[in-house]
Parts: sequence; C-alpha cells; structure tokens
Amino acid sequence: MFNVVTQPDSTLPLLPRNMADKRRSGVMSDSKPTTKAETDQEFLSQAGVGVLLRGALLKLVEARSEDPIGFLAEHFSNLAETDNSPVGGSDGEHHCNVLEQQQLSRALWHIGLAHHSQRSAFNSNTRVAYDLLMQNGPRRRGGAGGVKGRVYTELLRGLCSEGGLSVTASAPLLQRIHCHDHEAVPFELFRQGVLTCAVFADYIRKSQCLYAAVSSCPERAADRVLCQAVLGTLQEALETTSAWADVARYLEASMKISPGKLAQAMAEAQGPDRGGTGSTMDAQEFEDTAAKLFLVRVRIVS
Amino acid sequence: MNNGPVDCVIKTPVSLQIGDTVTDMLRPGVYVTDIAFPNGKPIKVQEISFKNYYSAFLSVRLLRREEGNHEGAASAKWVTCLRNFPLMANPHTEAGSQDYFSVFRQQMLVEPDNVYSVRLILRQPSSSWLNFSIDEIKIYDRTQEDAQRGVPTWLSSLTNAAEPLLLHGLPDPETVSSSIQQMWALTEVMQSNQTTASVGRFDVDGCYDINLLSYT
Repeated sequence: MFNVVTQPDSTLPLLPRNMADKRRSGVMSDSKPTTKAETDQEFLSQAGVGVLLRGALLKLVEARSEDPIGFLAEHFSNLAETDNSPVGGSDGEHHCNVLEQQQLSRALWHIGLAHHSQRSAFNSNTRVAYDLLMQNGPRRRGGAGGVKGRVYTELLRGLCSEGGLSVTASAPLLQRIHCHDHEAVPFELFRQGVLTCAVFADYIRKSQCLYAAVSSCPERAADRVLCQAVLGTLQEALETTSAWADVARYLEASMKISPGKLAQAMAEAQGPDRGGTGSTMDAQEFEDTAAKLFLVRVRIVS
Repeated sequence: MNNGPVDCVIKTPVSLQIGDTVTDMLRPGVYVTDIAFPNGKPIKVQEISFKNYYSAFLSVRLLRREEGNHEGAASAKWVTCLRNFPLMANPHTEAGSQDYFSVFRQQMLVEPDNVYSVRLILRQPSSSWLNFSIDEIKIYDRTQEDAQRGVPTWLSSLTNAAEPLLLHGLPDPETVSSSIQQMWALTEVMQSNQTTASVGRFDVDGCYDINLLSYT
C-alpha cells in the first residue's frame, strides 16, 4: 500500500514513513475533525460491505456447515466469479466450457447447502441454482424455456456422485429422468429431478444400513430368503393401495413394516430352514433389488 | 348417512279443528302431514330431518308392516315412534322456532323398519303465531349395510401377536423395521413430489429415430 509514494513532508525528513503518515493525518484531523470519522462509515457503506456481510452470515446460518471458514471462502469466491463472469468475451468453445463447469460446480454447491428434508431451504437453494444455470450463455435469447438439457443431465450426474452413488447405481435413475441435450428443462422438472437424486442417494445409503442389519455378521453374506422376506415387506408396503384417503394408506403401509410384522416375516422365512444352509445374497444384489423398488416408481420424463 | 334422502311424496298438511265450520278467526292448532313413498316398497328409516317453522311439538307415527307377516300393506299397523317431541322449549317464545332438527332411529320408540308411510303431527298451542309448519322434510333410510365403513381387515391382524416368535439368529426386528420405514418414507417423498411437468418431448423411446421413420 506504500507503492504510491507521497512526498515526504519537508519539515520532517528524518521520521520513518508511517510516522510521517500518522503525523500528517493527525494534522489533517486537527483541521477537519469530522471528515475522518465519517470516512470509515462512508467507505463501508459505499462498498456495500454491510449488505455483503449480512448476506454471507445469513447463508452461513442457513447452511450450518461444519466448516464455517471454508463455507465463507466458497461463498465469497462464488460471488467474485459472479462479478467477473459478464466480462467473459468471445474466446470460443474452451471458454464456454470452463464457464459452464464453474457454474455447474457452483450450482452443485448451492444445492448441497441444505438437506432435502429441510424442504423450504432446499427449494430455495434449487431455485438459486436454476437461476444460476439459466444465466449460461448470455448471448442466447435469455434461455427461454429452461435450463439446457445437457447441463441438467450433468448436474444430476454430479448430484448423484456427491451423494455417494456409484456410476452403475445412478445409471438406471438417470435413464429415467435425464433430458436430451437440446431440450429445455422447466423449473418444476428441474426441482423434481434434483429432489429425486438427493432422495435416491439417501435411499441407497439406507438400504446399505439395512443390509448390514439383516446380515448377522459383517464378513458373511446375508441369507437370501431372509433378504427376500425383508424386501418383500417393503414392496408390499409400497404397493398398498386403499380406496380411502391417503391417511388410511399410510396407516396400512406402516402396519406392514412394523417391528412385529417384520419379526413374523423373518421368522417365517427362517422357519423351515434352521440350519442356515440356504443361499446367500451379497450386498450389491441387495442394493440393486432395493433400488429397483424405488426406481420403478420414478416417473419417466417425457 | 352416505346416501341422499329417499324420494317421498309429502302431502299437504291437514288441520284438525273442532267443529264443522272453518272460519278465519279460528286458527288450527294441529296439523297432520302424511308422507308416502312412491315405490310402495317399505323402507327402514334411519333419520328424519326437517326445518321447523314455529311448531311446538311433534309426534311421528309410522305405518309399519308387522314382523313375521309377509303379506302386503293391508296388514300394516300405525305405531307411534315419537310422542310430543318438543321443538320449542316454550311455545310462546322464539327459541327453537326456526331450527333444523334431526330425529334418529335411536330416538324412536319402536324400530322404524318396514315402514310404508310416515305421519307427522304438529302441535302449536300458542296463539302468538299466525302459522306453523315444518319444511324441507328429508327421510334417510338405511338400505345399505355400510360394508366399506366396516373395520378393515388389517386392523384386526394387528393384535394377534400372541405366540412368542423364535428369533434366535435373526436380526433385530426393531433395527430392520426402522431402516425399512425410512426407505419407505423416502420413496413416498419422491412419489409425492412427482410433477406432471413435461419437457415437451414428442418422441417416445426414440421413435423419431431415422431408422424407424423411414418405414412410415
């Protein structure tokens, strides 16, 4: 900050520079006492720092991340990129791709701020991500219709991998909800796709916990009949239809997966074969079977 | 009460008065209204609802076919199922004068089954009111035996866990159940958030592929 050389005061040639500055400012303050006090506040308000910090703190509180410093760093770097991106010129394909990657990672970051169970926060984050992705290509007609299909599919892929899903696990899901490159994705579909990916990631994690619970010890694979019985109860619960209201359907489904019912199902499955010599089901197959139960209910995008 | 009122023909009220001459000075204190059912088939009365208009007391009589007697209406008898039911607490004052009432079969003195005709007898002893009657008479029957409102079968199977289950070597049902419940809930969340928004795709499963199009 001392690059700008100020002429040292001729009356004080031997004092070090910072002292001279202090003396000078001291002199100034003597003559104009109010200007300096207001300069700080004016400076802050001109830069809009108050709004900036308030926004950052609000987002931090909303996200409640375990790493506040990292969160704030990402937040400010995202903001800096937003300010810089309109500057992007016509550098061609490479520049567009880089820009797109940046926007994708920022959109992913936004969506990851809130868990999908915090519905309103998740929805607002999805909206922010959507608006962000709509800004892509400022030279287009304002992105009429929605986010580009290619960007949407890339985002979903990123969400799945962030949720811990392997490529093979997420492939069938993406098959159902992906959009072609040329299509324009409206917000409702965008939100539904994002939510489905987040929920599916949780679902697969839960099914892994379930497998761990069903298999009696970690080294051995679980008994096949047992696994099938357990997954069968889930399937029955999902297939419950009731002529009555949804409430009755939930009650009936929850009855089917209550501990008592499960104990009964497992005991029946185990019953005739107490020796435990039946075939086993490994973790991957269990996961795939459970995933099928979920995926068959995902609406195919059309 | 999941069905509408039965069709009935409500005849004009007949006033009962003492003496032969009907003069304008004498206002009747009793009206009798007959209600017949057009099909001629007997009904089981579940409820009679109406709107009062300044009637003080109501009596209801039913033309009922006797039990065990399978002949036609000729052997029916009139029975009283409601006697002097007060509609207005004080016949001279307004309370209850324009209220809505429902008379249920549980309130009736006899079982209103195999009813051919209903007779409503209105009494208003007070001279304060110019006119009195009841309106919007609706009779509900109970032909359907509410099968779908019975206890669902799965409810009864909740409580038959009497036998102790041998759970040796089986995983803990509580843990398994809680995992499954969460998986079920996640699937329900996903399903309930499905929208009908579409991306406007025209082809189904790639039917606009060049290879297929060339055949049309």
